[in-house]
Amino acid sequence: MLVLRRRAGEAIVISGDVEIEIIEISRTRVKLGVTAPRTVPVVRKETIPVAEQNRKASELLPACGREGIAGILEVLNALPPKVSDGSTDKKDSIPERGNRE
Amino acid sequence: MSPAQTITSPYMGCVSWDPSDELVFPAGLPGFEQERRMLPVEIPAHRPLVYLQSLDRADICFLTLPVFTIDPSFSLHLSDDERQVLQLGKHVGDEAAPAIGVDVLCLAMLVPCGKTVEANLNAPVVINLHNFRAIQSVASGVSARVLRLSDAGSWVIVC
Repeated sequence: MLVLRRRAGEAIVISGDVEIEIIEISRTRVKLGVTAPRTVPVVRKETIPVAEQNRKASELLPACGREGIAGILEVLNALPPKVSDGSTDKKDSIPERGNRE
Repeated sequence: MSPAQTITSPYMGCVSWDPSDELVFPAGLPGFEQERRMLPVEIPAHRPLVYLQSLDRADICFLTLPVFTIDPSFSLHLSDDERQVLQLGKHVGDEAAPAIGVDVLCLAMLVPCGKTVEANLNAPVVINLHNFRAIQSVASGVSARVLRLSDAGSWVIVC
């Protein structure tokens, strides 16, 4: 691994067209600015496994169909009611929107 | 008032919505960075499931659950960047934690796993209910908290 020391305001350039600038350094964090062509995806590393999960998630409905949904609902509806800590009204549903015709 | 629009979803049929109801994901979702407009759809017979339908690609639709239906003790931790994207400061204050169900809605994406599904509570979809801006919040430096729906009728911690 190449290790470089940089100060705020300094930058590094990768392959001539990707520039990473150190914008701000605080006690525990560094703020980076990335300039790259649109074709170069720039993501936080921790999102990579989530991207893979999301791709799998997008296959759930095509794969399971109505029967699969019914199966999931059957198990969900058989779950015992979740116990709230009583400190707040844990209403957690979407406002009414999106009408099927 | 904007006229209602429609999309024909292969999973829900024809869905109509008012443009003011659209969710805006300024950065898309990880793996789906181009999907910036989504619609949450609740079908009464399918509650508590919430469909997250892309408004640009009819074939992209996610199945989600409100996080409290999986874990009533769930607590949300947003980074400063995430709060900024959601524009939470305007409604909740810069420091205060947003109240789930009041300020934000948190949905866990369901991922197929054999004949059942898993939900990663470390990457909930967070919707600002004041302005319908949304993100998928990805916790960094936290071990994964994945739960699997078991045939026995309970959520089992996988990791």
